[in-house]
Amino acid sequence: MVLVMAIGDLHIPHRALEFPTKFKSMLVPGKIQHIICTGNLCIKEVHDYLKSLTPNLHITRGEYDEDARYPEIETLTIEQFKLGLSHGHQVVPWGDFDSLAMVQRQLDVDILVSGHSHRFMVYKHEMGMVINPGSATGSYSSMTYDVNPSIVLMDIDGLRVVVYVYELVDGEVKVEKIDFKKTSTTT
Amino acid sequence: MSPAAPIEPAKKTLPESSSSGELSPERADLEKCRRFGDLRGVQWRIDLGILPSSSSSSVNDLRRVTANCRRSYAALRRRLLINPHIPKDGSNFPDLVMDNPLSQNPDSMWGRFFHKAELEKMVDQDLSRLYPEHGSYFQTPGCQGVLRRILLLWCIRHPNYGYRQGMHELLAPLLYVLQADLERLFEVRKQYQDYFTDNFDGLSFNETDSAYKSGTPHMEDSIKVQKDQVKDNYLNELDPKIQTIISFSDAYGAEGELGIVLSEKFMEHDAYSMFDALMNGDGGAVAMANFFSHSPLNGPQNGLPPVLEASSALYQLLSMVDLSLYTHLVELGVEPQYFALRWLRVLFGREFALEDLLVIWDEIFALDNSRLSRGSENESEVSYGVLKSSRGAFISALAVSMILYLRSAVLATENATSCLQRLLNFPEDVNLAKLIKKAKSLMTLAIDAINSKPVGVRGQSLSSDLVAPGSPRSLVPESYWEEKWRVLTKEEEERRQASPQKLVQNRIKGWSEKVKMRLSRTESARLLSKVNHKIVDRSTSPVRKNLLDDLARQLGSEEDEKLASEDDSKEQFSSVNGGSEENSSIFFDPVSPRCCAINNDHGNETERSSVASNSSVIGNHPAGLYSATEEVASPLPVSDPPEDMSFKEVQNDRTKEKSVTNLRERRLLAGKFQWLWMFARTGPEDSSEKGVCASESLRSPITECNQNNVAPSSSTTEGTSKPEGVDQNKMSSLKDVARSMLEHIEVIESVFEQEKAQTEPVAKNDLVGRGQITAMAALKELRKISNFLSEM
Repeated sequence: MVLVMAIGDLHIPHRALEFPTKFKSMLVPGKIQHIICTGNLCIKEVHDYLKSLTPNLHITRGEYDEDARYPEIETLTIEQFKLGLSHGHQVVPWGDFDSLAMVQRQLDVDILVSGHSHRFMVYKHEMGMVINPGSATGSYSSMTYDVNPSIVLMDIDGLRVVVYVYELVDGEVKVEKIDFKKTSTTT
Repeated sequence: MSPAAPIEPAKKTLPESSSSGELSPERADLEKCRRFGDLRGVQWRIDLGILPSSSSSSVNDLRRVTANCRRSYAALRRRLLINPHIPKDGSNFPDLVMDNPLSQNPDSMWGRFFHKAELEKMVDQDLSRLYPEHGSYFQTPGCQGVLRRILLLWCIRHPNYGYRQGMHELLAPLLYVLQADLERLFEVRKQYQDYFTDNFDGLSFNETDSAYKSGTPHMEDSIKVQKDQVKDNYLNELDPKIQTIISFSDAYGAEGELGIVLSEKFMEHDAYSMFDALMNGDGGAVAMANFFSHSPLNGPQNGLPPVLEASSALYQLLSMVDLSLYTHLVELGVEPQYFALRWLRVLFGREFALEDLLVIWDEIFALDNSRLSRGSENESEVSYGVLKSSRGAFISALAVSMILYLRSAVLATENATSCLQRLLNFPEDVNLAKLIKKAKSLMTLAIDAINSKPVGVRGQSLSSDLVAPGSPRSLVPESYWEEKWRVLTKEEEERRQASPQKLVQNRIKGWSEKVKMRLSRTESARLLSKVNHKIVDRSTSPVRKNLLDDLARQLGSEEDEKLASEDDSKEQFSSVNGGSEENSSIFFDPVSPRCCAINNDHGNETERSSVASNSSVIGNHPAGLYSATEEVASPLPVSDPPEDMSFKEVQNDRTKEKSVTNLRERRLLAGKFQWLWMFARTGPEDSSEKGVCASESLRSPITECNQNNVAPSSSTTEGTSKPEGVDQNKMSSLKDVARSMLEHIEVIESVFEQEKAQTEPVAKNDLVGRGQITAMAALKELRKISNFLSEM
């Protein structure tokens, strides 16, 4: 019952002022065990805020991040799942399924989390899942129009992961749920 | 499920000394024949009321009852150990907005899951430190798992108690005795192995058993058969205790395996039912759960949490038995609950080693727990309800005998700390028999003490002081975030409802209601509202009406200038009035109703003068008022009523309009000072009601302050008119009061902060902004005054 939040592309303070209040009110310290962040926060204050929600913060470098010390790629294992994390601007063409699949194979992970396109997407691909948590603040993107703020929460329980997507549509939080089961244990 | 490490069966039992039949409760005990003296688990289950206690109940009856209890526990366990993945029956499409993991809604599946996780954390903290000296049993993961599950389920089942430290120590010995019974069973099994053969139909079937017997080859067999038959006969000649043990473990009796009274598989179930019965008191008087709750048992009259009640019962008994020791303790300032809390909550679990404790609990449980009635008992006759049974009497008698045991040590101490040290470190090797004998001899006295009225007012008010200022903080039924969620959603609803209406008319009302609500949800308010509804009801109406009429006159006229229509404002005022009256009760500190009394002599004067000074203040501009504040706020000058009267004359002409809120804010703070000083003077009096109603109207508008003016000015004028009333003895109580006032100030201030942060510049008047600023200033002044008080 590990709760992992995937979040990214906030672009604070350049393209957005702050975290949407509705999301903020939901994010209570103590409930979420891990936060994985694709990048583009961009400033330290956001990093500190995320750190206050949970000490397990994994973050990769986006092209606008002010802190240059974040890694480009990160992998972690939670329960039976291997997760890979990268911002996505390194993968060209941006958002291309096959290129992302290449990265997934390269990292040998079950779930690849990457961002940059500001468009929320979750899809199953061959042996694993690719999650794009979109932009948590709904900030402008040159690739996507009409960006809604969205964050993703994964409930990892043994071999099963349930993905909850929280999207802020017209000021209301909408929740979607997607189930994913892994067929075999990690070798 | 069952712990692996064997334990030595607790061989220590008191010799059946129920022969001391002088006391009536003992006779009842004799009737409830202690059939299973050495099977503590069964005996305690009978004593606690789980198993039928009449001597005529057969083994089968016992088995049936046992089975029922176990079934109910199993159902409970299945229901409450929820897994959020498994959807509730019938809902294949749960409302995701409510049921997602981040939802704050405490009713959602996830909300309950997190609540359970929190409980589990607390329980685990305690369990890890449970009985380390018997760690080989209690610290095994199996045992810990059993204890954890039982505690969790009980707490989820009784959300109003939650989990409190100490419950695990009540549960542990129960599990221990069940395990001890099992050990005994194993012993017996080993010894009398043959008798435990799988006897279906009471016959044993031999392989070579045939109706047709032929020749010598069968001789040996038949001898064997004969031997077996002989053994069967001997079963009845065995010690009846062994017989019962054997019959208890029979897997083919009534209810089959579920009915095996001494069962390893169902230890958890049995322990749960024992724990539940112990906590609930099984309908009797002594329910351990009461000792863990904060709210008073008998309603607001008694006003004391049960633990305090019981502790004072202890002291009362002690005073009846040994007055010198009692006075010594009281002189030192040792309140009974300092040590009695631990004694009572864990039923002496911390004072004795485990084996000794079992002996003591034998005695305690042996006594009947049905409530002692005392002829005609009416509402007004308050007695120690929480201990009102023979069992309760024995508990208090035992506690007193423990204190007496330490008599010389306690009398030798010279301050409270060392005295408590002696009391809380009960010596290791104690002559238990003597202790228990002494306790039994005190039983009749104990019953008298319990049936008598509780100790005097002073003791009560002091202990309520101890509880009241502290308890608002300790009431944490829901987590902070869930509270906030409720507040936020309610506010949103209110906002949506309020928005279509006319802004002007509802400006004050809407905002004030919002703030009222928010304030009413602060923790202090929750307690206050409970305690003080009664007081409010009893207040005399005429004085209240007087006050409000005065207010209405002045405020009504002032508001004309600011708002559209006079009628509107009047209505608004009355509606605000009405609304605020209900909530006025919310803002009381429990101390104040008891002690807040406007002195009869000055009663009406002060009220008039406060109204007058308020109106005087109304007349001036805020700037002028600040100067007034300063001058008045210089530490508590003794201003005499004549000053107030002069103000009154000057200002009576000026019926300026002011919004309700100003006056009320001031009166609120005035009220604070009033009760502050009144507390010094008096205990509860009839005049308290007057003071109460004055303060009510004062307090409510703290929420609605628009243009705020000098609250402290009026308050100090009133307050200082009675400085001579301050008793030296009440200094410490004053300090408490000052502290609680500070708390209230903080509450008010935080409300203002919130309001400031959250009000959007939509419907804002200068009034609101200015009002807030002046309110803050007034609060600062008040703070200064209260600091001064506490230094005093």
